[in-house]
Order: sequence, then C-alpha cells, then structure tokens
Amino acid sequence: MNPVQLAWKVLRADRRTQVATLLTAAGVAVATALVLLLASLPFATESRAERALWQEPRYELSTGVAPTIAWSFSVDEIDGRQITRVDIAPLTDGDIALPPGIDRLPEPGELLRSPELAALADSRPPAELADRFAAEPVGVLGDEALRFPEQLVVLVGHTPDTMPANALELTAFGTGDPRPDQLLTLLAGVGLVVLLVPSLVLVASASRLIAARRERRLAALRLAGATPAQVTAMVAAETGIAAVAGGALGVAISPLLHRAATTVPWDGGTWFAHDFVLGPGLVAAIAVTVAVLVVGAAVVGLRRVVSTPLMATGGHTRKPLSGWRLLLVPAALALFFWTLSRANTGDGALPILVALGVLMWSPTVVGPWATSALGGIFVRSWRRPAALLAGRRLRDDPKAAYRASAGVVLAAFAGSMALTLMPSLESEAGYYSQFRDEVLYLDTNEDRAGPIAAAVDDKLARYGLDARASRVDQAELVSGDQYHTATIATCADAERLLAGVGDLPCRDTPAIYVDPALDVADAGVPDASTGSAVPLPADAPVVSTDTAGLLLVDPALWPADAPLLEVNVAVPADERTRETVRTALLAGSGGEQVVSKEMKLGQQDTQLADLRRVTVIGLVTASLLAGVSAAIATAGSVMDRRRTFGALMAAGTPVRTLARALRAEAALPALVSTVGAGALGTAVGVGLFGLVSGSPAVFSPWLAAPVVLGALVALIAASVCAPALRRVRAEPLADE
Amino acid sequence: MHTEPTPLLTGRGLVKRYGQQHALAGVDIDVSAGEVLAIVGPSGSGKTTLLHVLAGILRADEGRIALDGRRIDQLGEAGRSELRRTEFGFVFQSGMLVAELTAEENVALPLLLGGRDRTTATDAAREWLGRLGLAGKEQRRPGELSGGEAQRVAIARAIAHRPKVIFADEPTGALDTRTGHATVHALIDSARTTNTAVVIVTHDRELAASVPRTVAIRDGAIDQAVPAA
Ligand SMILES: Nc1ncnc2c1ncn2[C@@H]1O[C@H](COP(=O)(O)OP(=O)(O)OP(=O)(O)O)[C@@H](O)[C@H]1O
Ligand SMILES: [Mg+2]
Repeated sequence: MNPVQLAWKVLRADRRTQVATLLTAAGVAVATALVLLLASLPFATESRAERALWQEPRYELSTGVAPTIAWSFSVDEIDGRQITRVDIAPLTDGDIALPPGIDRLPEPGELLRSPELAALADSRPPAELADRFAAEPVGVLGDEALRFPEQLVVLVGHTPDTMPANALELTAFGTGDPRPDQLLTLLAGVGLVVLLVPSLVLVASASRLIAARRERRLAALRLAGATPAQVTAMVAAETGIAAVAGGALGVAISPLLHRAATTVPWDGGTWFAHDFVLGPGLVAAIAVTVAVLVVGAAVVGLRRVVSTPLMATGGHTRKPLSGWRLLLVPAALALFFWTLSRANTGDGALPILVALGVLMWSPTVVGPWATSALGGIFVRSWRRPAALLAGRRLRDDPKAAYRASAGVVLAAFAGSMALTLMPSLESEAGYYSQFRDEVLYLDTNEDRAGPIAAAVDDKLARYGLDARASRVDQAELVSGDQYHTATIATCADAERLLAGVGDLPCRDTPAIYVDPALDVADAGVPDASTGSAVPLPADAPVVSTDTAGLLLVDPALWPADAPLLEVNVAVPADERTRETVRTALLAGSGGEQVVSKEMKLGQQDTQLADLRRVTVIGLVTASLLAGVSAAIATAGSVMDRRRTFGALMAAGTPVRTLARALRAEAALPALVSTVGAGALGTAVGVGLFGLVSGSPAVFSPWLAAPVVLGALVALIAASVCAPALRRVRAEPLADE
Repeated sequence: MHTEPTPLLTGRGLVKRYGQQHALAGVDIDVSAGEVLAIVGPSGSGKTTLLHVLAGILRADEGRIALDGRRIDQLGEAGRSELRRTEFGFVFQSGMLVAELTAEENVALPLLLGGRDRTTATDAAREWLGRLGLAGKEQRRPGELSGGEAQRVAIARAIAHRPKVIFADEPTGALDTRTGHATVHALIDSARTTNTAVVIVTHDRELAASVPRTVAIRDGAIDQAVPAA
C-alpha cells in the first residue's frame, strides 16, 4: 500500500482524522486566500496609480525641450470629498497622445469630468460646484482615467494664457512606471505576518488534534518495521491531502475575498474589481508555497516519533526550558530599532520587515518559558485542585499550553502596535497657516493677483456675498545682516485675516507695524542684482504693536517691482458661505489651488480613517483566527488526555472542577503573554512612529484594547473545555 | 448458625442493554462492609459492565442499587459523581494516573476534590504512599515509576479518602503474576485497616481463589454452577 492509499484509508475510517483534516484544509484555505489578497495589494495600488498617472505632476517630463502641453494640477474639495483638477492647454498644433480613458482633449472653455463629479455637480446649485471650473462639460472620463470608481476628477481645457500661475510645460501626458502605494505595501507586509501566522497556528492546532493518536499509530508502524522515510511519507500524504484541498479551496474563495476588498476605501475611494487580479503564475506559486509550508511543518513536527519508535507521550521527562529564551526579546527589539535607525540609508523596508518578523516570532519563544514560569508559581502556591492541575500542566508541557494562545498573542502585538501609531499620527495632524482658520486663499503671482482679485470680487458680488478678496503678500526684508519675513497687507486686512493677530493700533495713513523686539531700523528690500537693499520710504510711520513677531508693511509703502516671496488672494468665509467662496476663488482664478483648513484636515482625516479601518479589519480577522485556533488547540488538549480525564471523572471528579483547571490552563498563558505582546507592540509602535515623526508618541487608553480582546478570545476559546469534557464524560472509560 | 452481615451495597435485578445485546441480564449482588469480593468470568461476560453499574459510572436500564439501604440508582449525574468521589474508590487496569502530577499529588487529588485543604491532603497522601512501600518516591511522576509502583499509587489514591467500597477492574492486568498478586494483597491489606470493601474483577484464577468470596458471571448473569466461596 503506498502512503497516499494508507492516508486515504485512515481518513475514511477515523472520524477525528476527518475533523482534523477538514480543519487543516480550512486553515490552509484561509491562509491561501489571505496571502492571495495581501499579495495583490501592491499590484492593486499600482494599477490605480497607473490609471491616475495623467493626474500626477511628472516633473521629469518638464524638460523645457519641445513641450506639447501646459499642465496644472490642483486639489479642490466639496463636503470633505477631494476633487482632483487638471487644467491643460495644448502648446502645439500637432497630435497629442492621450491617456487611456480620455478620448479627446477639451477645447479652451470645455471640460471632461468623471461620472461621479458629473452627478454631484448636476445635483447642486452652480455657485456651489459647477461654476468652479468655468467651463462647459463636453464629455465624461472613462474608467481607465479614474484612480477609483467614485473619484471626483475634472480635466479643464485652456489656452496657454488662461492657465493657472504654476502650470508646468510638459512634453507629454504622464506615462511611465506607476509607483505602488508605499504605506499600503508596508501594511500588506505587516498583514502578511499578522494574519498568516494565526492561520498557520490554526493549521498546527488542527493537526495537534490527532497528534497523540497519530503518534501512536506511527509508533505502531515503526515498531512493525516501517522505515522513517515511509512514516514521513505517510504523514506528508495525510497532510498533503488536506493542504491540496485547502489550497484549491483558498484559490476558489479568493475572488470573493477580493470582491469584498474592493468595497474597502483606501486613499479616498474604493476599488475596481480588476484591480486585485493576480497573474495565474503568481497564484499557483503562492498556493503551492503555502501547501508546501504546511506539509513541511507537519513533517518537521514528526521528528520525535520518527527518530524513536517508542511512544513519545506519557513516560518521558521534558527538559526545562532555558531562561536564555528571555534574551530574545531585547535582542529582537535591538535588531528592530537598529534596522529602524538605518531606515533612511536606502535599504528599503525589507530589513525592517525581517526584524518585525523576528519580533513577532519572539513571543513564540518566550511565551512557553513564561508559561512554564507561571506554572511554577501555581505549583508552589496552589490551594485548590484546579490550580494544581493547571500549574502542573503548564509546567510540564509549556509549549503545548502556550500553543493555544499563540494566535491571540500575535493579534495583541499587532493591535497595540497599530493603536500606538494611530493616536500619535492623529496628534501630528494639524493645520499650519498664516491665515485664520476660516479664511480661504490661493497662491498666485504678482501679474495675475490683481485681475484674479477683481474677478473673485465680481463673482462674490454676483453670488450675493458681502465678503471681498484681499491681497496678502509676503516678502523678505533685510536690516543690517538680519533677514525678516514681512507681511504686506493693509492693517484692516491683517486684523481680519491673519492668524494670531488681534486688535492692531491701525492708523488712517499707510504705516509699518512691528513687534518692538524685532530690530528693523533702516530695513530695506534686498535686491539680488545690485547686492544692496532698496529702502522702505524713510518717512513711513513705524507703529509698535504687542503682537509677537509681527512685521506688517502697508502695500502703499512697498517699493514697486520689489520681489515678493508669496502672493495670496484671501477671502474670509463661514460655514454657510464656504463652498460658494471657494467657487468664487476658483472661477475668478481659472483654477489656482485654493487652500482651506477643512481641506487640509480632511486629507489627513482620510488617511487616519483608512489606517484605522485597515487596523480594525486586520485585528478582528486575526482575533477570529486566533480564537478558532485556540479553541481547536484546547479541544485537542482535552482529547490528548481523554483517558486521564475519563478516569478522573469515573472516580467522581466533577466536570466543573476539570473545566476550571482547563480554563485556567488555556486562559492564563494567553493573559500573561498578551500583556507581554501588548507591551512589545507598543514599543515597536513607538519605534515606527519615530520613523515618521520627531515628536513623542501619544498613549491612549485604547492600548488596553488588544489585551482585553486577546484575553476575551482566550476565554471564549477556553469555553470549549466544558463541552469537550462532557463528551468525554459520556464514555469516561472508553478507549479511543 | 452465624448472622449474615448486613449488606453495604446491594444490586437487584440489574439489566444493561447495548442495542439488542444484554450485557447484564438481571443480576442480584450484595457486597458487605469490609469484605473482599472477586468477580470472575469469561471475556465479554459483563464483569466490567457490572462493576460500572454498581459504582454508578453507568446507569442500569433496570434494577435497583442501594448503599447503606439508600437508593442510589436514581441519583442524577452530579449526585453519582459525588458518591463516587466520597464513598467509592477506583483502581483501573493501568493506573490511569494524571501524568503531570507527582505520586503524592495524584493521591491527594481525591481528598482535595472532596474539599480537604492542601496540608491535610498531602499529609494523608504521604502516609498512604509510605504504607504501600513508596516512601521516597512521592515526588516521582507516573512515567518515572514501574507498573507495579504506579498501581500502588493508584491504590493509595483509591483509599486515601477512606471510601466504603473500592472497585478494581483487572488491577493486575498489566503486571506479571508475582507483582500482580503482591499489588492486590497490598490493596486488600490496606482496605482491611479502614474496613473498606473491595470488589475486584479479575481473570486470574489463582488470585480469585485467594480472596474470601468469588462471584462468577456468564453471559450477563450470575453463574450458579460455580459455587460462591
Ligand atoms: N460501549 C459498549 N457498546 C456496545 N457494547 C458493549 C459496550 N461495552 C460493552 N459492550 C458489550 O457488553 C458485553 C459485556 O462487556 P464487558 O466489558 O462488561 O465484558 P467483560 O466481562 O468486562 O470482558 P473482559 O473480560 O474482556 O473485559 C460485551 O459483549 C461487550 O461487547
Ligand atoms: Mg472488562
């Protein structure tokens, strides 16, 4: 009989082997499907980016040699949703190659927009949205030109002279290699570890379910003269059946998972179904790799039986675990922070991911030691039989006892890492502007500022709003060898528009307002061509203010043609008028970038919401997997010892007492190691945060969440003890 | 003429069916306080079934069982568990000790489960292990004991809480004849000191002959052809 036939025979005859095989197959299926999804993420972001190449600034196409288009990109916003706006003007009469999804170039005064934007613009008064583009819609952008299905994007046609101030002159529309989303690629890597390990633990728990029985059977085969190779082949065949079936199932369900993933928003929108497609070669490679890993793990797990034909269970004494194991945690932490410190040297994310892998593996090494130590405490200080039984079990086989909680521990690790990162990133989010929060403004150049302000005022008047546009510029002043940044605006505008400026002692005539702490005696505008400074009018009144750092120059005092650092047109708005003011600024400027606090914060909110969503999905999935594998492992540990438990019950031990002992056995290691993993995860989160920010991390009470979640999952898993024991009680002295 | 000792445990008309098959087909049996009783019979005759029914591990389909004149066959699972824990002791074929616990802890376990505190339970366990010749091996695990030693630990465990009856199903099954006999006699001697009745199921004719009373079972019924000693 060949190994596969023998495996089939066992599978057909033995119910528990059937259950274990089903669970193994299910675990392999979940693992395969998850890997297929995570592996497709970078590709999915890449195909998104590829479709959006024409919307992205491509400075390498701005060579100055034979440009064909003037191109400008800006971001607009409505109700917190981002609108991508591209303004374009042809610079040649020749043919311009168009990106996919754009079937013609809009003429000046025409625009193409995405279906979602068309629907939105048509559903609102023109003053709130449609007027912003100051052009006639003549068509719709195809799917191939959209980053994601519901993207709000518009392509506005111009003549070169109506283009926004900061337009680029490009040789062509953006093409070339799209870059995958780095954050999502990093998260996919983390997710691979966080989700794959619990699925593999699930597979391992499932095979533990029949381990004792299988060991006995294999020991019998060995005693009957089977060679180690034959025994190994048999186990490989047994696991192989489950792995192949599970792998096929995983590939089969993977489109469903991909389909579900298309509904999860990232970076502002959901996905097209075809974003997640992986090549058949890659799919096959992943499925085969997962199956081979599982079979390999099963074979390695058999070393003990294969090497000695005598039964491995029962009589042997186990070597105590060495305390050296503890050193792995500081070592892994050190490695992690070392790779972090080298993160900017250009090695990429791989070393960090490897170090992260080592860190995530370290609880698996330290966990059993901690479990054994915990058991030792129990053995010394027990008062009730449940504590004695649990303590002895933990001490005797800490690895088996820990195995049940390995998945929970990983989930806790990943969760506290993410939860450390998120509030910290949230605290980073902020809006820094010289203007007050309620002011909308755009940045243009000196030539255009005047006409834009006039056009904006015209629009504002037409929309029936009282607010008017103001010029607020910035320029450099030099006084001796001190350089200062001066704001050039009227005193009234400064009071109304500038952040941190309260009541000013405004004069009726043009003046310079200055914080006396600044030394601006004989200040002038530096002139690069002469190397000397153009002085401000000597007779200009200088008024001291108590606004710290203020250096305000009335525009009437500013020398003509003196260089400016920044030219802004600003309009104050309120909740009610914001969208209309935005429309006036955009329509009056022909599409300059308009900035407001809401838009900036909205973008940061999107990122954080994305992160939180992905974390919650990952955490829940990992906890689910972990809970299932812990439950299976606990059931397996009851089954392994059913003869002992049966004898105890026959002698009158209540199920209640045994269940209490088993629950302690299942839940305690989980509790202790989730706390440890939580601490470790927090440390790693702080490290990762330090990678992106210089400010200290923020700790929130949410950090306790993964630990609570882990403990809860462990308790739920431990609740299978009682039903499993009741099954034993039905036939306490039956042989298996 | 001597007076019959009042029976401690009585079974009347015990029937246990597995599908069509009668594992017990109406058995009457008495066990007196402190007596030693051997149950013999061919394989498959129903010895184990009878023992389990008497001890309340299995429920009889028909018949009555009484301990000290009190009906115990109608008790629920919890009641029977408590009875087994307090009034009965068990010695199984191959020890069935808890592998992770030391010999001492294995013996103390029933006492602890009965609510005794740690010190009392471990002291009693140590004393019984000493009486059964296992002094110095209290801290060994079952895996570190010989078959006979493990079986004596099981005896200490069965008796430490001073039960009224000890049930032993082929306690010598895994031992050689000499060790087996020594083990059973250790059990009987211990039981005598606490006035505990012992019901032993055995295949061993020589062993059966050496105990005061023997009941033979054939096809689920008491075999009248074999005279009760
Ligand atoms: N759980 C069970 N299901 C079905 N039949 C059973 C079960 N347990 C025992 N039997 C049957 O009941 C009869 C009595 O079994 P029992 O175990 O009491 O025999 P025994 O006298 O102890 O035999 P042995 O000396 O071989 O141990 C046997 O025919 C057996 O096949
Ligand atoms: Mg029997």
